[in-house]
Amino acid sequence: MIEEFATLVDPNDVDDAVLEIEDFSVDYGWGDSAVHAVNNVTLSVRRSRVLGIAGESGSGKSTLVYAVTRLLRAPGVITGGTARLSFDDSSSSTGQMTTLELTTASERELRKIRWSRVSIVLQSALNALNPVLRIGHEFDEVLKTHRPDMNKSERRQRAAELLALVGLNEERLARFPHELSGGQRQRVMIAVALSLDPQLVILDEPTTALDVVTQREIINELAQLRAQFGFAMIFITHDLTLLVELADDIAVMYAGNVVEWAPARDLYDTPRHPYTLGLLSSSPPLSGERRELVGIAGSPPDMSKPLLGCSFHARCPYALDRCSQEAPPLRVIDKTGRKVACWLHDADNVVPGPLRRTVRISAPTQAVNDAVSGSNQAVVL
Amino acid sequence: MRMLLRRLSLYAVTAWVAITVNFMLPHLMPGNPVQTMIGKLTGRVTPQQVHAIELSFGGLKGNLVEQYFGYLHQLLLGNLGVSITLASPVSTILRSAVPWTVGLIGISTILSFVLGTFCGTMLGWMRGSRLDSVIPISTFFQAVPYFFLGTVLLLVFGLNLHWFPVLGAYSPSVTPGLSWTYIFSLIRYGELPVITIVLSSVAGWMLGMRNMMITMIAEDFVLMAVAKGLPRRKVIMHAARNAVLPSVANLSLAIGLVVSGALLVELVFNYPGVGNLLLQAVLNEDYPLIQGIFLIITMTVLVANLLADVLYFILDPRTRTQAAV
Amino acid sequence: MSAARIPRSPKVLVGVGIVGFFVILTVVGPWLAPYDPSSTNFLPNLTPSGSHWLGTTSLGQDIFSQLMVGARATMVVALVAGLVATALSIIVGVAAGYLGGFPDEGLSLLSNVFLAIPGLPLLIVIDSYLPASGRSNSFVIGLIISLTGWAWGARVLRAQTMSLRNRDFVEAARIIGESRFRIMMGEIAPNLLPVLASSLLFTILYSIGAYVTLAYVGLTSTAVWNWGTMLYWAQANNAPLSNEWYWFVPPGVCIALVGMGLALMNFGIDEFINPRLRAGGLSGRLRRTSGLPRRPRLGFTPVMHHPQAQTSGSVLTKMGAQ
Repeated sequence: MIEEFATLVDPNDVDDAVLEIEDFSVDYGWGDSAVHAVNNVTLSVRRSRVLGIAGESGSGKSTLVYAVTRLLRAPGVITGGTARLSFDDSSSSTGQMTTLELTTASERELRKIRWSRVSIVLQSALNALNPVLRIGHEFDEVLKTHRPDMNKSERRQRAAELLALVGLNEERLARFPHELSGGQRQRVMIAVALSLDPQLVILDEPTTALDVVTQREIINELAQLRAQFGFAMIFITHDLTLLVELADDIAVMYAGNVVEWAPARDLYDTPRHPYTLGLLSSSPPLSGERRELVGIAGSPPDMSKPLLGCSFHARCPYALDRCSQEAPPLRVIDKTGRKVACWLHDADNVVPGPLRRTVRISAPTQAVNDAVSGSNQAVVL
Repeated sequence: MRMLLRRLSLYAVTAWVAITVNFMLPHLMPGNPVQTMIGKLTGRVTPQQVHAIELSFGGLKGNLVEQYFGYLHQLLLGNLGVSITLASPVSTILRSAVPWTVGLIGISTILSFVLGTFCGTMLGWMRGSRLDSVIPISTFFQAVPYFFLGTVLLLVFGLNLHWFPVLGAYSPSVTPGLSWTYIFSLIRYGELPVITIVLSSVAGWMLGMRNMMITMIAEDFVLMAVAKGLPRRKVIMHAARNAVLPSVANLSLAIGLVVSGALLVELVFNYPGVGNLLLQAVLNEDYPLIQGIFLIITMTVLVANLLADVLYFILDPRTRTQAAV
Repeated sequence: MSAARIPRSPKVLVGVGIVGFFVILTVVGPWLAPYDPSSTNFLPNLTPSGSHWLGTTSLGQDIFSQLMVGARATMVVALVAGLVATALSIIVGVAAGYLGGFPDEGLSLLSNVFLAIPGLPLLIVIDSYLPASGRSNSFVIGLIISLTGWAWGARVLRAQTMSLRNRDFVEAARIIGESRFRIMMGEIAPNLLPVLASSLLFTILYSIGAYVTLAYVGLTSTAVWNWGTMLYWAQANNAPLSNEWYWFVPPGVCIALVGMGLALMNFGIDEFINPRLRAGGLSGRLRRTSGLPRRPRLGFTPVMHHPQAQTSGSVLTKMGAQ
């Protein structure tokens, strides 16, 4: 039965996928000293949908995405797996979908799909914008490279349109990054990312460096822009609460593995993996009454050593004997198609209460708090 | 603008310090060299010239403050004294020598900066490639004294292989003037001195630029340039455009060092500039000339510094607006 | 600042080796010299031979002996000048960076002025006024060189001190009530060490250049043997033009080698200060043996399938099935 689930991939997802990542592994370094940052991860992003990837820093969420796009810096090495990008190829017959395998693509092929098919917004727009170039240049060089038939005034026109999309005046085109506020810079980045109507926009913690109000504004703008243009997004963050509003699906990563991958609302309301539960208990609730925030006891494992068993077992309040021996595969556990990598959901186990709920409870029970926090090492707020 | 004004006032102060040091040295050294020198002058130059030299040192009468103001006054009038060995006003001598030095060192410095920046950009970008083996070799050229390298090049490529005409600024058979033969001769005679100065100074620019490129490549905006699918040339430009800023900022500081080394190249190649003149003056203990040359070199270097600062001002938009980052 | 963090790249080791060799030569050079370098007892203009490894000068002096004896004066003056200049730059730079405000303005102006004035012409002017007794005194020469060579170090040290001064441990010392002097010496100075070392190397490099140049121009006593005076005599006797390469090439090459060694050592310090300059986790050897591309390319993450990793993935699934 498990074997069956382990290889099961929802066919609906596949047909409609913009990006399919399969069995993907990434190391930092090579040989004995290598750190295994991402281990056999399988994920996909559906057309016009938002996939949120959540996890603590060091969980491999950014590493995965940068490696898939082949942008990961040395000493990162992709050690296995495939990543297929699908897109409308306007040069061939209309409606024709072309697939590019990113792990075997040449530099030339990559250059062609970069920004025109996949664009990226980084955490700090201040660092992502070249400090000595005007904002207008950021748009201009992209259009010049990918749309050689546009002339100078057309490019300027397009840049002004794009800025208007994110609510900025075209007067900003003549400004330098240091002359804008943090929120304005991030809006510029988003506008630049949309320059070429990409199928997929990757956002790596795009709002982390901003204040809460601006953060909210930008999330709303992104949702509107997605509705308007229909691009898919991968939204990377450590903040699950932020994701649940924007994302269609959420994948939770821990120590280089995807531990739970489910529709956003399901994952948020009724988590099935102990780590997801812990992550939710440590972030403030979206709405409803205030509750005590609880951190997860312990720290992530040393990823330079080979791991025996589940990567979370040492911190897991529900760990079984089996968990320290065998790594659980990510598999479908119920009819909604949600996938969890956890032995607790094996047929012959009694699933602990908090991981069995079917409706959202605004405050986790005291029992969960005790169980999850363990030594009560961290109490936030 | 404030940055340029600050630099301008710095150079004004520097000029004043140089002028004052120039005055104080001969007056404060043990054994009163001015008196001794003027005493030795009798018979070598005319009494009028002796008087001009005395004036240029601030006169022999009055206390130190009065002499100082006398010296400043003469400086304003353009009286730098009279060269003892050449028996003509120092200012006249300098007027004919300075253009050679400015031309030679100016062209070499620009060439060296451009070449070093370009090589450093490529070395930084290609870090880890076989090109890295250039680095240890380049430190040798960085360390070799300019005059020694010049001597070796002169000997090997000038006198033995005859690839370059050497000794002097142009062929003795050509009459100076606005003719192609003269200009051609100038260029041919200038080649080896320029090569010497470039070879000795290029490594500094190159290694500095390489380090800055490596630092810049680690920045997000360079990764963004790649993510945008820009051609490699443009990605490199993104990094280089920022990496060059510290080099330009250092340019104004390094000019003094380059000039110091390059002055001796003139001696090796018998080039008619102020460096050659300075060393002749030192050998002949021609103090008015030594001091005049020191002042003119300092002033020229300060002007060059200011030009470098203006370049920085143009290249870095952050200096133009005072908005906080 | 553990020993493990000190880079040991081949470049640095070669640099240390070269400098070490010349330091030893500084000590033992005069004993290694087979003859008195000033003695004119030999035939003039001999070419290199078994008894005169580098031939003789036009006065009949043994050139190899001059080279050996000259190492000491050259290195000692460079070291004295380098140390004094570094001491000056510590005093000015650390004080300016730590005190801030008005003292900083003044001290920064001072070092900027000294940076802007071209060093060698100033050196030549000062030196030309020195009485003969001063010129023959290596320490006086060293002191004058240090006077023109401290400003760069002061500037670098000031910047580093300013960045250190607001860090937590300095703040803590201030709250405990440590005196300013003790904070400067006890807390800030040790953290300046790498920058200081780099500045010292460059000042020594500058000092060698300046000293040799002064000697070459004839502004140091020709009675003191150093590599610069050797070049001076070689030039004065037209050695380059008469193809007596063994007279002027060895001292020039020695000067360049010492400088090269210092510059190579500085690579190590640079990598220590700026982690980005260190090779990114994968040594060249590892790259070669693993089959990874020799040079990491930005925007083209390498793909290398681990033979073990691929199987381990399926092993996990199989284990799960049991």
